[in-house]
Parts: sequence; C-alpha cells; structure tokens
Amino acid sequence: MSLSRIWKVLRKDLALGPRSSIFLWAIVLPFALTLILQVAFGSLFDPKPRLGIVDDGDSSITAAIEDMDGIELTLFDDAGELKTQVEANDLDAGLILPQGFDDEVRDGEQPTLQFFIGGESYASNRIILTVTAIDLVREIEGSDAPVTVDVVSFGEAGLPMSKRLIPVIVFYALVMAGLFVPGSNLVEEKEQGTLMSLLVTPVKSSEVLIAKWLLGVILSVVLASASLALNGAFGANWAQVLVVILVAGALSSVLGILAGVYAKDSSIMFAIVKGSGIFLFAPTLFYIFPEWPQWIAKLFPLYWIIEPIWQVSVMGEGLSTVWVELLVALGITAVLGAAAWWLAKRMQAQMAGQ
Amino acid sequence: MTGPAISVENLRFSYGDLEAVKGIGFEVQPGEILGFLGPNGAGKSTTIKMLTGQLTPKSGVARVLGIDVSTDDPALQARIGVCFEEKNLYLNMSAKENLDFYASLFGIKDPDSIEVLRRVGLADRAKDRVKTFSKGMRQRMMISRAFINKPDVLFLDEPTDGLDPVTSASIRKTIREEAERGAAVLLTTHDMFEADELSDRVAFINEGRIVALDTAENLKLKYGTRSVKVRLRDGVGVREEVLPLDGDGSSAKLAELAASPDLMTIHTEEATLDQIFIQLTGRGLEG
Repeated sequence: MSLSRIWKVLRKDLALGPRSSIFLWAIVLPFALTLILQVAFGSLFDPKPRLGIVDDGDSSITAAIEDMDGIELTLFDDAGELKTQVEANDLDAGLILPQGFDDEVRDGEQPTLQFFIGGESYASNRIILTVTAIDLVREIEGSDAPVTVDVVSFGEAGLPMSKRLIPVIVFYALVMAGLFVPGSNLVEEKEQGTLMSLLVTPVKSSEVLIAKWLLGVILSVVLASASLALNGAFGANWAQVLVVILVAGALSSVLGILAGVYAKDSSIMFAIVKGSGIFLFAPTLFYIFPEWPQWIAKLFPLYWIIEPIWQVSVMGEGLSTVWVELLVALGITAVLGAAAWWLAKRMQAQMAGQ
Repeated sequence: MTGPAISVENLRFSYGDLEAVKGIGFEVQPGEILGFLGPNGAGKSTTIKMLTGQLTPKSGVARVLGIDVSTDDPALQARIGVCFEEKNLYLNMSAKENLDFYASLFGIKDPDSIEVLRRVGLADRAKDRVKTFSKGMRQRMMISRAFINKPDVLFLDEPTDGLDPVTSASIRKTIREEAERGAAVLLTTHDMFEADELSDRVAFINEGRIVALDTAENLKLKYGTRSVKVRLRDGVGVREEVLPLDGDGSSAKLAELAASPDLMTIHTEEATLDQIFIQLTGRGLEG
C-alpha cells in the first residue's frame, strides 16, 4: 500500500469536488439547514443588546456587565462619542458612570445616572439593558429587589429547540459529506469506467477505497465542525469536540464506502441512501423528543456517533463520559471497513466482467 | 529484457458456466504488434483483462515482462499502457489534467503532457475539459493516456472502433511509432483492414480459441487462393475473368489474355483476412 498514491487519488477528488453538484450540495446543505432552523427556532438574527459605557471611576457596574455573555459592551472615553453612536443606532443604550458613582450610591446620595436609549432599538433590548442597570445599582446599594419574581415556564422544560436540533444539523453534515459524497464519488467512477482505468495503473483498489474514505472523513469533519460552530456548540473544549467529530466522520464515511462499493450505479446508490435514510436519521429524533424511551436510540448505528457529539459539544461533557460510545463507534467502523474491503474484491471482478 | 514481452500458455477464463477463453497460447516480442482478430464475444477483451490484471485467469500461465499476471504485482502495471474500448476519461478534468494525474500515479514527476497531446493532435485543446471533446478526440485522449508512462507493453482494445478514416489513420500512425520505440503491442480489433495494415502478426480468435496465428502474408498464402481478375472489352460491354494462378495451364492462359487487344485491366486477387477468417471459422468478423 502506498500513501503517496492514496494522496494523489485524494488530491484529485478534492480538486474535482467543486466541479461536482453533489459535492457542492453536501457543503451547502448543513449551512442552509442551520439558517432555516435558526430562523424558525433559534436566535441567529436576534442581536445581543448593545450597551456603551463611559466609566470615569472604575465602577463595579462596568465589571459586572463585562462578565455577562448576553450583553455586547463597548467602552468609551468620551461621552459625546457615546451619544453619537446611540443616536446613530449603533448602540441600543449608553450609560455614563461619573467618578465616585459607586461610593455615592453606597452613601445614599442618590447621584444622577445618565442613561441614553436609542429610539430605534428593540424594545426587548431596552428592557434588558434598563433592568440590568437598575439591578446592578441595587447591588451596589446592597438592597434587595422590592419584589420576588416567580418565573413560570410555558412549553417544554429543558433545552431550547434550537439546541435540540443541533444533532439533526450535524447528522446532515455527516451523512451528506461523510456518506453520500464518497459513496456517490465511487459509484460515479464505476459508471464512467475511470475506476477501471485507475486499476490498470499501479494504484490498488484498497488505495482507491482509502482515498475515498479519507475524502468523506475530511469533508464531514470540516462540515460538522462548521455546523457546530455556527450553532454556538463548538464549545471551549474544542479539542475533545474534534475527537468525537473525527470518530463520527470515520463511521459515516465507511458507511458511504460500503454503499458505494455495493451499488452498481447511481440509481442504486440513491435507493440505498433513501431506503436507509430513516434508519440513519432515527437517533436524532430522540434529541428532539427527549421524553421518548432513550434506549431505543441505541439500536441505530449513528446513535453511537451522535451521542458523543451531543454530550461533548452541546452538554459540555468530557471524553471520559462517552468513551463507551466512541469505542462502539470505532468497532462498527472496523467491521464495516472489513465488509467494504471484502466487497471491493467482488466489485473489481464484476466490473472487469462487464 | 531479452525474452518475449508477453508470454501466454494454455490460458483459460470462465464467466460462471460460460468459458470465454479456452486454453490459448501465444507470445509477443518487444517492438512487435500482434493483432488479435475476432468477432465480438470471441474472447479478445477477456484476454486483455487477464493480461492487465483486471481478471484472474482460471488456469494457465500468462507473463507480461516476465511477471506472472495473477500475482497482482504493481511493478507490472507500472510498465504497461492500456487503452480501453470504453472511453473512461475524467470528463470534468482538462486534457492536460487527465494526463498529469495518470502520470502522477506512475510516479512521473514532471510529465511532458503537452508533448504527448501534441503527438495525438490535441495540444491546442490541452486546457479544455474532456467533456467538450468529440468522440474522435476522446479516443485520441485514450491513446495518449496509454502512452503517458512510455510503457514497454501496450494493450489496445479496439482503438479505432467507430472513428472516421482520418482519425483512425492518425491513431494507427501513433501506434506504429510506439512499436518502433520498442513497445510490444497487443491490439484487439474486428477491423481486418486495421489488423492487416498494423500488425506484424495476426491471431484469429474465435469462441475462446486461437484458430490461426501467423503474419498476414503467410495466412493469405496458406489459406487464400492466388488469382488475377482480368477485364476485357466484349462488344459494347465489359467481360471479367478470374484466373487462378495455381491451376494447370494458368500461365499460358494469362499470357494469352495479356496479349489480347481487348484487354482493359489486370488486378491481383488477394484473399482478405476477413475471407480467411470465414474460411477457418465459418463466421464473419462483424458481430
């Protein structure tokens, strides 16, 4: 086996990729899905409240807001510049904290707080910024809120739908890039006879299969990572997320190779993907509907790659939580790889016999 | 390499119960063109597939450049060139990209793809995608791809099938140049004219067996009849006579006709390979 020849076939496939509609579709689909689902359920286009502060005296309010993820903070030296940006709607609100503000509040001197509100800002953002500012002033004063707010959630408890749809988006990235691209690429080579032309050069069928498998792994890792990042789920432990995505790419790509080796032509390849679609897709449904019996999800092969992605990227768990799932996924990959290897020998004889 | 470039002994192959190649044997020397002549389904392509490692022989021995073809040795593929009957090029790649890619698989670092394309008259289309090429241009691309690694053995499966006479002549010229360079060429065709013009020797293959193997001239001498066709004026019309040269008194008869004032033309009547094939097998080369 020659790594050099594997690389040459892989490089050719990567170079030809952008000239293939299936390849382009595989790249576009996860992004399109992210866009559609985030518009429907998420907050892709909801900007964070934007607050500007001129802080002349190192107020604890500025420090507290800096630590908040939900507010986009910009610091200014000049009050005039702050007002200009609020007027231009570049900020939702502006706050001027004079020197000694915190001390005056603590001393009960009731200092004046200048708070500018942009006229064109979202009402929701204005409310968030106003309530936040008042709460922080109360904290300086050391007083409790005058009321106790009883929060009652309507709808389902647990994670928001935008989070629960992440497995669906990652699934499409893995299936399109990892399964469909290498599988259909292999079938196309069979149909056009180019595979046979490769096999009368020093390239071996095993080298072709490994090159196609790597194509699927690379594409699926890139697209699954991008999908997670777009959905804010790549997380701080990116290295561990990358490991689970790599295992997922390896399994989905070996499924693609197996389908590609088995399918004689494109119509059979499409039939395999369509026919097995629900079987592959099923585990993602258990994340959308967490009240379903979760053990059923384990009956489907892609559960073993979706679950580690869910736990590590969305739930923030470590690899130690999902090592069993990862081992099972690697085991499935090895078994399917051996099956593809065996079928490849038959495929070569069938092609030559045609 | 001092021995034959291709050496085949008692080679057999079956597709299920159908025995496609039934114990054939032949040799091809370096620089020699062997024409494999037979109708569709005779076993020509199956033989090439075995010799290029695509199919494993059921029995018998086949060596190409001294390497047993059943060993799946990449050293064999590194030194052969194959032109398939089916035009299997990367259509979304340019002509040059196709050749550069295949050259890289043979470990050729700086392939002179433009020069190879120039040999087949495609240098000016080097940057165009193959999907824009005509059938004849694609066939020339197939030939150029088979040459890219300067192979010691060339397997050409129906290289001019369905092409116009000009393109066919151009391809035949290029094949001849490869043989002059020293490459052994195994050429399968059902075009007797092509086999006659190109081949140093011709093998007739029918129903999986080689039924004759010799130079075209020897086959014609052995299986054909020597005769001349004489056209004579006959009143207002024309009379034709075919005169066998091997019969008793044929020389005297020929001299008499040659001296006749009515003589218009004399043509030698040589047997064609097609006629010899029919004589040997009872079937034609087409179909």
